[in-house]
Amino acid sequence: MILAPFRLQRSGRFLFTCFSMAFTYRYRDDVALADVAFEVLGDSLPDIFAGATQAILETLANPATVGASWERAITLSDQDLSNLLFEWLSEIVYWKDAAGVVFREAPLTVSLSSGIWTLQARLVGAPVDQQRQELRNDVKGITKHLYELKQDGNRWRATVVLDV
Amino acid sequence: MESNGGTRRMKLNTDMKVNRITNEIWEIPTSEKSGMLVPARIYATPTILQSMDRGVFDQVTNVACLPGIQRYALCMPDGHWGYGFPIGGVAAFDVQDGVISPGGVGYDVNCGMRLIRTDLTLDEVQPRLERLMIELFRRVPAGVGAGGFVRLDREAFDRVMTKGARWCIEQGYGWHRDLAHIEEHGCIGGAEPSKVTDHAVGRGINQLGTLGSGNHYLEVQVVSNDRIFDPVTAAALGIIGQDQIVVMVHCGSRGFGHQVASDYLKVFEKAMRRYGIAVKDQQLACAPFRSPEGQDYFAAMNCAANTAFANRQVITHQIREAFATVFGKSAEELGMELVYDVAHNIAKVERYSEGELVVHRKGATRAFGPGSPELPQDFKKIGQPVICGGSMETGSYLLVGTDQAVRDTFGSTMHGSGRTMSRAQAKKSVRGEQLQQQMKQRGILVKAVSMSGLAEEAGFAYKNISDVVETVDLAGITKKVAELRPIGNIKG
Repeated sequence: MILAPFRLQRSGRFLFTCFSMAFTYRYRDDVALADVAFEVLGDSLPDIFAGATQAILETLANPATVGASWERAITLSDQDLSNLLFEWLSEIVYWKDAAGVVFREAPLTVSLSSGIWTLQARLVGAPVDQQRQELRNDVKGITKHLYELKQDGNRWRATVVLDV
Repeated sequence: MESNGGTRRMKLNTDMKVNRITNEIWEIPTSEKSGMLVPARIYATPTILQSMDRGVFDQVTNVACLPGIQRYALCMPDGHWGYGFPIGGVAAFDVQDGVISPGGVGYDVNCGMRLIRTDLTLDEVQPRLERLMIELFRRVPAGVGAGGFVRLDREAFDRVMTKGARWCIEQGYGWHRDLAHIEEHGCIGGAEPSKVTDHAVGRGINQLGTLGSGNHYLEVQVVSNDRIFDPVTAAALGIIGQDQIVVMVHCGSRGFGHQVASDYLKVFEKAMRRYGIAVKDQQLACAPFRSPEGQDYFAAMNCAANTAFANRQVITHQIREAFATVFGKSAEELGMELVYDVAHNIAKVERYSEGELVVHRKGATRAFGPGSPELPQDFKKIGQPVICGGSMETGSYLLVGTDQAVRDTFGSTMHGSGRTMSRAQAKKSVRGEQLQQQMKQRGILVKAVSMSGLAEEAGFAYKNISDVVETVDLAGITKKVAELRPIGNIKG
């Protein structure tokens, strides 16, 4: 596994990318009785972003049943890493409704330049198809309840509660 | 009031002192939490009070700390933990000195209930029930990412935001007389589309006429004679029993309303610093009602509320079309009149003895009594209809508001049965296919987009709605009219 970050030549930017996923996530029963909560643990920053992304994709539909006929390149920036993750997850929910799609995958990178964090992602999926896809919960939004992104030693942890 | 009374032998999910006011009203005094401006009152029987989660007690007392709150922070018997406010929460704030909070409205702005009557009976519907459910499932899109058949450009969507159900009637999606049977005639004034973000529009513009998922549903129900509690009021609402078929719809403003709430939570987080407002929970973010931020949110929230009225109106049109197709008669010939449509996630300006107040109802229903001047002619003698949805296995209720509710609870009552089990736990207890089969054996046909979503909505995951309804009936804030038993259900 190639671990992020590495410095890009000449640019002075730090690029964080996930070449091999090293994250785990679990759904939590003990919060948000009527909704869906999950906790992600990751070995690195890209892992935690990839893990949270995978958790929300899985909440919407089984990604293995979704094709790749729809694609959108997304770039988001924020000074605050926690806000960046929140906005990214919210963006996934936005495209679900705006384009009427569910998702297969969302490869992404996170970079830091001049104090600004930037996420670049490719959101890949297909229009909702009730016959072919295993659809799950219609996530309405990301909430701030217990929302957290933090680094514990060498590991990253994120807690996210989804309104469904 | 008994000092520390009534709860000494009860095991509650709180360490706070809870005083018994009556058998259905319990009060947490202001001494129990720093910053409480008014007491908190919970409507519950002793059994329901003991089943309430810790969040109810923590959150209703947090609400009691918000600036400008009047009289009491209230929680209805179907109350459970929510974001900021508890679900079942009611709070009224002075329009001059008080706040408005998206956390007191809920993410799904104007999530609400609608009930449509028919002249059909169970004997007439049963042989064609399977075909009817297929037709309804085809015409009313449900589930993840589902889009509706109504195609709108931005200009037309702006009109939906400002006109609500009126826009639908103008387009032929319903009858003009439907409007008199919708809260606020299906159109709340003060909606201003310029206060809504492009993101919110992007999420909502294709969703008119869709059900959504989660606990939203469309249900075909039956009213039997022995489940009518007030025949005179029931008859005035077109409910005659004799195994009569009715249709209930539970849904709201979909992604549009959620985006409005999310957008303004961010605005309010910043505004609170500017106005020096501190809250006990980030999800109680609020702004003075008269501030520019407060007024902008109110205008945007009303856009979402009107869109939700329009959503349920388009769904009603589709339901009427489905019945007409299956039974070979027009919806008018089938007597498919709208009984009522009522919001249970909303903030509205209403007048009480304290003056003009911004009443927040989150998982709570307006319940105006016969004396309320706001009610249209049809309801002046009986009070405003209140529709409470139970779980898809147990049934629902039609009730009417009372003048006592106007006096005691800012004209508010319960909205449903209230969840007691997490979605994950429910899925561990039953599989969707298994539940669908079990319900079929009990005479309830279910069409669901997601089998895991179906399992999450199993009846055992909810409180018994009859216990909840009994509480508000005994407390006198709503009166039971009829119980409605499900025979067909559509879920996202």
